[in-house]
Amino acid sequence: MKTFSATPADIEKKWVLIDAKGLVVGRLATIIAMRLRGKHKASFTPHMDDGDNIIVINADKVVLTGRKRDQKMYYHHTGYIGGIKERSARFILEGRFPERVLEKAVERMLPRGPLARKQLGNLRVYAGPEHKHEAQNPTVLDIAKLNAKNSRSA
Amino acid sequence: MARVKRGVTAHAKHKKVLKQAKGFYGRRKNTIRVAKAATDKAMQYSYRDHKNKKRTFRALWIQRLNAAVREFGLTYSRFIDGLNKAGVELDRKVLSDLAIREPATFKAIVEQVKAALPAEPAAA
Repeated sequence: MKTFSATPADIEKKWVLIDAKGLVVGRLATIIAMRLRGKHKASFTPHMDDGDNIIVINADKVVLTGRKRDQKMYYHHTGYIGGIKERSARFILEGRFPERVLEKAVERMLPRGPLARKQLGNLRVYAGPEHKHEAQNPTVLDIAKLNAKNSRSA
Repeated sequence: MARVKRGVTAHAKHKKVLKQAKGFYGRRKNTIRVAKAATDKAMQYSYRDHKNKKRTFRALWIQRLNAAVREFGLTYSRFIDGLNKAGVELDRKVLSDLAIREPATFKAIVEQVKAALPAEPAAA
């Protein structure tokens, strides 16, 4: 018997819609990362892109627990001497692209590589309550219901 | 006694190595000195990975089983515990294959496993 290995013909990519309102960033990101990789399927094949397409709305309304909203820092380096810059999670969430907090969290949970970059392309994050993938008929996934700790009202 | 010229055997040996080095990157495929080292290392990797393959596959079956049983509200760990208690002797390879190709059969096994497990404590 030969172990099953998914081919492009076997792969059925679903569309999933997640409302991120009031959800804890890290907990949400683990679920998204798992689904992007396809590790929730019995036919998981490590070298194939067999995860789902995921749409996230209200990504600006995610929640960070504790004092992380002010204290969690995102660093980048400009390349110049002393060029390390930091921005707090609050700064980004209140800025022009608040969805980047969630995107970054998911990106950092995926194994780095060409496949991960492709799978990250299957994730569409929107700050507002709207998305432009109605034609794909996404199924709604209620993350808050999966575990009481997934959502925080604050 | 006939005279032996060394070029013939040397060429034959080199040919053997270069044949093995086909598809390698850069000078590794056509320069004997580099190709020899590259094929030697390749054989070492091959020997090692024949053994590693068995571990990698077992790990993959476990990952797949974990995904499959979570749909039934179990975790891999509890599933294996239940298998032992229910006396099911199928291995991980067969089970993960059943989960993909014969979901109905797999479901039956999961039901059997659940029956063998003690009832969940109230706060799950």
